Amino acid sequence: MYKYDQIDQTLVNERVVQFQDQVARRMNGSLPEEEFRPLRLQNGLYHQRHAYMLRVAIPYGLLSAEQLRTLAHIADKYDRGYGHFTTRQNIQFNWIKLEESPAILADLAKVQMHAIQTSGNCIRNITSDAFAGVAADEYVDPRPVCELLRQWSTLHPEFAFLPRKFKFAVTGAKEDRTILLCHDVGIALKKNAQGQLLASIYAGGGMGRTPILGSLIKENLPWNVLPSYLTALLRVYNRFGRRDNIYKARIKILVKALGPEEFARQVEGEWATIKDGDDNFQQSEWDRVANHFTKPAYTNSKPLSTQELINSAPENEQAAFARWLERNVKSHQVPGYASVIFSLKPHGSVAPGDATTEQMLAIADLADQYSFGELRVTHEQNLVLADIEQAKLLELWHKAKAQNVVLPNIGLLTDIIACPGGDFCSLANAKSLPIAKAIQERFDDLDYLHDLGEISLNISGCINSCGHHHVGNIGVLGVDKDGEEWYQITLGGEQGNHASIGKVIGPSFGAEQIPDVMADIIDTFVKHRTGDEPFIETYRRLGVTPFKEAAYHNRSKESAAAGAAV
Amino acid sequence: MSQVNSVLLYPKGGKPSIIANEWLVWNADEGELSKLDQKQKVLVPFSWWLANGQVHGQADTKNLDSELAKNIAAKSIGVWFAPDDDILKHAAVIEAGKSIWSLVGADFPIFRDGRSFSTAALLRERFAWTGEIRAIGDVLIDQLILGARSGFDSFALRADQNTDVALKQFDLFTVTTQNSWRDRRSQLDSQISSQPNRAA
Repeated sequence: MYKYDQIDQTLVNERVVQFQDQVARRMNGSLPEEEFRPLRLQNGLYHQRHAYMLRVAIPYGLLSAEQLRTLAHIADKYDRGYGHFTTRQNIQFNWIKLEESPAILADLAKVQMHAIQTSGNCIRNITSDAFAGVAADEYVDPRPVCELLRQWSTLHPEFAFLPRKFKFAVTGAKEDRTILLCHDVGIALKKNAQGQLLASIYAGGGMGRTPILGSLIKENLPWNVLPSYLTALLRVYNRFGRRDNIYKARIKILVKALGPEEFARQVEGEWATIKDGDDNFQQSEWDRVANHFTKPAYTNSKPLSTQELINSAPENEQAAFARWLERNVKSHQVPGYASVIFSLKPHGSVAPGDATTEQMLAIADLADQYSFGELRVTHEQNLVLADIEQAKLLELWHKAKAQNVVLPNIGLLTDIIACPGGDFCSLANAKSLPIAKAIQERFDDLDYLHDLGEISLNISGCINSCGHHHVGNIGVLGVDKDGEEWYQITLGGEQGNHASIGKVIGPSFGAEQIPDVMADIIDTFVKHRTGDEPFIETYRRLGVTPFKEAAYHNRSKESAAAGAAV
Repeated sequence: MSQVNSVLLYPKGGKPSIIANEWLVWNADEGELSKLDQKQKVLVPFSWWLANGQVHGQADTKNLDSELAKNIAAKSIGVWFAPDDDILKHAAVIEAGKSIWSLVGADFPIFRDGRSFSTAALLRERFAWTGEIRAIGDVLIDQLILGARSGFDSFALRADQNTDVALKQFDLFTVTTQNSWRDRRSQLDSQISSQPNRAA
């Protein structure tokens, strides 16, 4: 993975000093809270319900074992012994003291980490495919472009106070695993027949209050001109994005108002004047960065069939191991290797995406031992060891069991994506964690979950949609009505190449009703499913009606009426 | 109408310093321009200039009858851009302004509004504006680095800002990872000086 050079390290160290001074001015009263707020947000520091929360960037989801150990120590020393992996490849610590935040940043800087631009109305942490560089369906490894763009966007002077936050995602694979079309800018990389690396640019996607899928505004853009093209794009947005209404300030509203063609035309016009400038990346810069993303020293390992792997386990463990292989192990570019997903979604016991200090330390050791000392964070809030020799899968499974991260529920109903919700977040209208817990407890039968097949269930505690409910096959959105927490259900959302936004099925429900409503929706699916059809296909075939009828059948009129206005 | 006592001047390639402010920022809705002392240097709104100044600005500076023409002749006039002024739509006016305005400003109605960073960048990049560009309005210490790199070289700091702290801002970063008006990304500099921010 990428290693900082002297320039990167100096920049991050100097950013720590800058933030130290900003905090000192806040503490001595010379910097009022209202003016400090955007500054702390640009360094990932939120003020939550109970304490400050620090969001640390895990650029494009890539993490070294050493970095994970530092995160574990931060959780232990400055927090309550755990961290929360987010839906944007960050980690959050929920119990931070303002006066200690510069010290945390200094600790992070020692392992080449930071919290720069993990919040605020600026270019946020750039996300990518958690399986970059190893996925069997990859056209091109997106990580060098991610890293070059990370550097380009870091402390960019012109775009630090945009109308609203700005999120990039980058993919280079056949199957999109980044929710590319739900980003302000999505960059899809490919190589042409001549081997040139080209980018397609999608703009104006996003979730939130107005979920919109991004539009293709530029094709076949050579990789090296990304800085000038993105400068033009961001400049158009910075100048003309709405600033009168926070809910209409994202680029998606501008793209929608102008129309994608007109937006693209304006970007093109601006770009024409700067496209040949020296902002553009040079080959030497590519070479320096790409050199960090060469393949690790894979051994010549004999490829094993699934059956061979299963047979290698003791007989009494074969069923469980087979299930884990099926759900939590993914194919790899290199024969004899596989990628393993550790589930951070144990049923009903912890918040989705949480990991304790002990788990992080143990997982870091496993990464060192089995996966070249590296890990990835998925936007589904799980962890990946990307480079595992197939012959070592059984051994790894045994060891990981002790950390409670081998539940074979990846991609299943209980692999819930959820934001921290009203338990922590001061933006939330409703709690999301108890809903996730109740659903996981209700569906705690692994055989049944496996029979149901792939279903994504995403929960957001408010319309900011950090829990990505819009793209869940089943989405749950917390809403507030007269100070009470209600939950709206959407169906039909999907991520990936067929990304779509779910539709609201009707009036919202009380928290206590949600597990039953889920059961009714799932029963309807089971009743109408043909063969092994995935939930989303059954839904598309039947439409919302049978699910809606089941969800509202026998529910008291009072609750439906009470939720109707929400 | 507003005038701070001092401004932070930070020429490209030079050192930052605090100097006395000679310029008044005039809002078109606050009294008449002709009531001002003729020697007063004044920044007028760009939108006002479009409505009132163009004829003089482009062709009629020899007609010294008007107060405005006197200001123009004395080089004691400039314009300030509001964040929603679309400067690219008025290229000819700005080109003509190069020989008239000895200073231009760009306004921050609130520090969180970043549009004027793009205004400054466009003035430098697109119009090759070589004169002074001043940040006016809600200009705070923590915008200085951003402004200085986007294209500003003077700052009418809000009156309550500590100028000692302000002057130290430019020492904070010795490296950069993207080009700006002031500096090239450090990676491209084969010899990284210890303070490339202030390299000429």
